[in-house]
Amino acid sequence: MSATRRSRIIRFLFFRFVVSIPVLLGIIFLTFMLIRIGGQDPVAMIAGPVADSAMLSAIRSQLQLDQPLLKQFLNYVLLVSQGDLGVSWQGGKPVLSEIKQLFPATLELVFLSVGLAALVGVPIGMRSALKPNGWFDQLTRFCSLAGFSMPTYWLGLMAIFVFFYLLRWAPAPMGRLGVDVVAPTFVTGSVLIDCLLEGNWSALNSAMSHLALPVLCFALLAAAPIIKQTRAIMLEIVGSDYVRYARANGFSQKTIEKIALRNAAGPLLTFLGSELTSLLAAAALIEYIFSLSGLGQWGLNAILLGDFAVVQGYVLTLALCSMLIFMVIDLLVLMLEPRN
Amino acid sequence: MLKTQASVLTLLLILASNIFPVVWAQEKTLVIAMNSTPKGVDPDIWVPGQIEATVNLYEGLTSYGTRVGSNGKLEVDPSKIQPHLAESWTVSPDGKKYLFKLKHGILSPFGNELTSQDITWTYEKSAQQKRTGQFMASVGRIEKVEAVSKYEVRFQLSDANRIFLGALTLHLPAIFDSVEAKKHATADDPYATKWLSLNSAGFGPYHLQSIQSGQQAVFVVNPNYHFKKPYYTKVIWREVPSPATRVALVRTGQVQYAEQIPFQQLSVLRTDPAVKVESVPGFGGATVRMNPRYPPFDKVKVRQAVAYATDYAAIGEAVFLGQGTRSRSMLNSPIAGAVNAYKYETDYNKAKQLLTEAGYPNGVDVTLEYSTNWWWEEPLVLQMQASLAKAGIRVTPKKIPSTEMLARRTINVWTVPFLTHLTSSFVPDPSYNMFLTAHCKGSSNVNANCDAAMDKLIDASAIERDEKRWLSLIEQAQNLQADSATFIETFLPGTHEVFAACMKGYLWKPHNRLVWKDLNCSS
Repeated sequence: MSATRRSRIIRFLFFRFVVSIPVLLGIIFLTFMLIRIGGQDPVAMIAGPVADSAMLSAIRSQLQLDQPLLKQFLNYVLLVSQGDLGVSWQGGKPVLSEIKQLFPATLELVFLSVGLAALVGVPIGMRSALKPNGWFDQLTRFCSLAGFSMPTYWLGLMAIFVFFYLLRWAPAPMGRLGVDVVAPTFVTGSVLIDCLLEGNWSALNSAMSHLALPVLCFALLAAAPIIKQTRAIMLEIVGSDYVRYARANGFSQKTIEKIALRNAAGPLLTFLGSELTSLLAAAALIEYIFSLSGLGQWGLNAILLGDFAVVQGYVLTLALCSMLIFMVIDLLVLMLEPRN
Repeated sequence: MLKTQASVLTLLLILASNIFPVVWAQEKTLVIAMNSTPKGVDPDIWVPGQIEATVNLYEGLTSYGTRVGSNGKLEVDPSKIQPHLAESWTVSPDGKKYLFKLKHGILSPFGNELTSQDITWTYEKSAQQKRTGQFMASVGRIEKVEAVSKYEVRFQLSDANRIFLGALTLHLPAIFDSVEAKKHATADDPYATKWLSLNSAGFGPYHLQSIQSGQQAVFVVNPNYHFKKPYYTKVIWREVPSPATRVALVRTGQVQYAEQIPFQQLSVLRTDPAVKVESVPGFGGATVRMNPRYPPFDKVKVRQAVAYATDYAAIGEAVFLGQGTRSRSMLNSPIAGAVNAYKYETDYNKAKQLLTEAGYPNGVDVTLEYSTNWWWEEPLVLQMQASLAKAGIRVTPKKIPSTEMLARRTINVWTVPFLTHLTSSFVPDPSYNMFLTAHCKGSSNVNANCDAAMDKLIDASAIERDEKRWLSLIEQAQNLQADSATFIETFLPGTHEVFAACMKGYLWKPHNRLVWKDLNCSS
């Protein structure tokens, strides 16, 4: 790597890091304020239905919810800066430790799904673009439209109904492992990786079978926009001057495809990055239906119950993760840029 | 490249289909599909899933007896309170002092024997925490709890009252194994509340083995349980948040019990031979409540007009799908002394006439607020909107978050003028129920239902020891409440538990939670 390129990358990373600080602060501020002005009051929920006003006041004071909003916010920022995301009122567990436990399940689901969707979607989109309006292209467009139109929730329920209830092919959708399986020791939090590390093959089999259906459902939904976007990008590239020039020079179809793919890599990676981040948030529904106990399911529950610290921790984690994904993608694009 | 994708897809499909038939983990393991894993197991702290777990971990000094009901099935007899962890008790002539003798040889899973020290420690803990346990102690008017000997404990009450023995049937204040709990106490936390929030130390039939938040909780039988040994030695509690998934699981026999099944699915499930649905009317009533501190509900004629303009038949059919039981009072069977006090039937003309008399000849505009605490709230509100419109009461439904509803309807806050609410309690005692819901100091009085005459009747009934006078006071209170029309009594939604077909032994308890020790799947 040339010195100029290295310094360009370092400058890029530094710039992104500096920019991320105010962005994160803004996200923390917005989440903090929105959840508090949203009309939810966790105090009554914590106290239970037999609470009197004295009990409510005591809990409010204990949670420091009786303090001015700005003071509450500054206290929270101070805690976050020390790596403390607060405590969930549901069970009193530290939010950070819950995130460490649950986030790997979400990452596992999303990365496998997007990986599978990309593996299938990119070549299909490319082939469609290379022979536009042919039978394959028409079929692909129809399928991707169907993929776009299916709500996640509906697709998940239908998959359970067909593959679990009717055909009995899929295992019971209640968790990441069967009830009779000994879970591997928590190392990374990804059941698949932990099973492999431990050599726990029966758990690995169970984990793969439990993940197969949710991953297929999620991949199906993710593949539709990937196919569409790949096709659009490739159509633009195939019609570009440099591809026409390559054709005129008599390059083979395979070489032209290689050239096109190299040029499409940048916009495709950027798109895959945005897919990853949007699916991180959308994973909540798949986790909910298949009882996968990931971060999304936990965050969704917290939103319904007004568990402020958890909601804030959930949003902050997603924001951080999104920023990290985009940073990596942008870095990759920078490195793949043919003009560099 | 397409070949590569095809190979990957094939591999994934093979993996997906490479499923061995899933069987119940072990013999005598109960697998249950629940909405969420318990967020804590300290009965003093009200968090999701706590009550469902702790009714199986902790038991009371007393318990309700049983009887054979009119349908030939065993049911709880609220009029019969019998010793449980206690062997017997004596009462002082003024009814203010109860001396309990504890059964000998009651052991916790840690092998420690129940003594009077455990009882006093339990009440001290609740008093220090100032939460649900203390509330229950105050409901029973418990002033002091003292150990008389190793196996004797005395309760000093501020007033002789009927609620006390009923309250002792509950799992709270939980009777802890204080010997074990003290091992986990610290200077900052002398009652080991942090440890007890995620661990159990009781004398009940089950013991918490592990909780994986969001995934599962595992309970094992207390090997030293003093009473009849439960059939199931292990209970695996799986978090399955989607109701549709829970239905699929119970229909395929993957779980033996699924909680909170949508009402709409019950009639289908009743026809499924793989499933058993157990239904009990219970005594919790779906009500629509009016806050007399807000106009136009400050006028009794407006409230009565709402009662007459309610289409009860339509609610029974459209909201409760013919599976509810009409509520006829703020108290309903099996609570002793329940009478048919609520006489209102649908009569739009009478409703219009009452509105005119109240000064609203052109009708009235009101907002009916509801949340999602109970599944029936939204359909009930929509049905009320349709029927009240026929009498000129124009209802605007407003859905608010559960937490907001809880905060605004709290006693002495009372900022919701018109709302939906479930009348329910853990103890089927009439005075206790009326106190909770219709007394000015009742914690479930969500609509500022404050009437000095009513409070007087409820207070008198709580301490009345003569059976006849007691029943008369209860009847008067119910009639007074029905006349005031601050509650629209609709239906008792009932408890509908969904099991795998082989399950037997279900016995409904007033706390309305599943008791695992009663269940079995023996041939």
